[in-house]
Amino acid sequence: MSRAFVNTVAVARLEWRRLLVRPLAWVLAALTLAWLAWNFTLLLGGFLAGQIQRAALPDGPGFTDLVGVPLLGQLAQLAFLVVPLLCMSVIAGERRNGTLPLLFAAGVPASRIVLGKYLAVLGWLLLWLLLTLAMPLALTHATHVDWGKLAAATLGLALMLAALAAIGVACSSFASHPALAAAAALVIALALWSVNLGAQMAGINGGAINWLAMSTHLQPLLRGLVSTADIVWFALLIVLALALATRRLAADKERN
Amino acid sequence: MTSPPPASPKTVLQLDRVSRRRASRAAVQDLSLSLQSGQVMGLLGVNGAGKSTTLSMIAGALRPDSGGIELNGEDFLEHPELARTQIGWLPERAPVWAELSVDEHLDAHGRLRGLNGAALRQARTAIIERLELQPLARRLAGVLSQGQRQRLGLACALLHRPALLVLDEPANALDPVQVAALRALIREQAASGTAVILSTHLLAEVTAVCDRVAILHEGILRHDGAVLADDHAALEKTFFGIAMNGNTESARAA
Repeated sequence: MSRAFVNTVAVARLEWRRLLVRPLAWVLAALTLAWLAWNFTLLLGGFLAGQIQRAALPDGPGFTDLVGVPLLGQLAQLAFLVVPLLCMSVIAGERRNGTLPLLFAAGVPASRIVLGKYLAVLGWLLLWLLLTLAMPLALTHATHVDWGKLAAATLGLALMLAALAAIGVACSSFASHPALAAAAALVIALALWSVNLGAQMAGINGGAINWLAMSTHLQPLLRGLVSTADIVWFALLIVLALALATRRLAADKERN
Repeated sequence: MTSPPPASPKTVLQLDRVSRRRASRAAVQDLSLSLQSGQVMGLLGVNGAGKSTTLSMIAGALRPDSGGIELNGEDFLEHPELARTQIGWLPERAPVWAELSVDEHLDAHGRLRGLNGAALRQARTAIIERLELQPLARRLAGVLSQGQRQRLGLACALLHRPALLVLDEPANALDPVQVAALRALIREQAASGTAVILSTHLLAEVTAVCDRVAILHEGILRHDGAVLADDHAALEKTFFGIAMNGNTESARAA
């Protein structure tokens, strides 16, 4: 195993352990899953109530369209608040507690610190996504699931969570206080989501401003359309955010 | 914990005209010194003299603005990863991850230093026994007293048997019994060939454990010489001469 890999795994394990014992991560997971479970029952109730009317339609929406994907859509909305809160302390908290130099002094480069912390947060978020997904999946024996559409929506959500986590880690690396990091990540994520709102209202569907918006790239995935361009957009955003975080963290060693 | 002493002392640490600015002022200026294996060097200075900045640079937590640092003959600034296996650092106030237990701290530090599996368990057990941390092993670091944190920080610094031990005010918040144990531990490390550099405000600490003393004042090395055992008065004279007048000449005159 290369030293870089060992370093990254060591940082990721440390951050994962810290997440596991931190009440905030559990409280966020518990509250959001309870909220999603409640909404799942409402969506399911609506789906069951409209079953007879939809039976008359040859290509009517099914369980995936009316329960699975809307539930993931709700998770996406919650993610705007949950991810910044989960990421806020990963670097800003270490800087505040004076533990960041311990990682530098262990010979771990800034890039590995950022990557390790990012992977730990991402692991937690993917677990959150899987638990949410378990709700519609629990009914697969009783209903017809459009697996392709559900897989595309899950991929979209996973990419969105990964992008929000990268933004959260980047904001945490720039901020001196975790609360500032959370606020900055929330504002940036919302701005990125709605940057094309004006263009949409004006009826413009193309151009750079629409390309820049996260919604442009998530919505096709939620509809079951997987395109390389959308995946590349998320990958670019993740790489950019992590590169900025690495650069800022490396500067800590130079500046402090 | 201990390994056989090396046949002949070799230069573990070499600082060559190291400088660093902090908060728009020169914290350390043109600092040159060397440290051999088995040697214990005390770094003295008043508050703000540049001791912690110097030790942070030696530990790899801070990069010098200019100058060079060699670790066992290799360029440390070119290869900061050398810190992983060769340096153990106890920072000032011993920062900890409050959410982790003492055991988990040692595991995390061990993994960061490349220890895993049986080697990590063995090293952890040995250091817990040596520093008598058994009663604290499962306690969260966040609830430890400052003295207990110091001991945990020391355990983390020693876990991977470094060639160079960097201790920033290690006797902070320790009771007299723990101070005596710390001195014994430092001597033990030096006897096994580890080079030790420690900063302190306590002159008695230097005369008790150090072979050499370096005195920093306003970021400049004003004195570097041997420490004569029990010659507390001479050290006091030198130190206060530098601290009050800012140069060695006045110290000699005093």
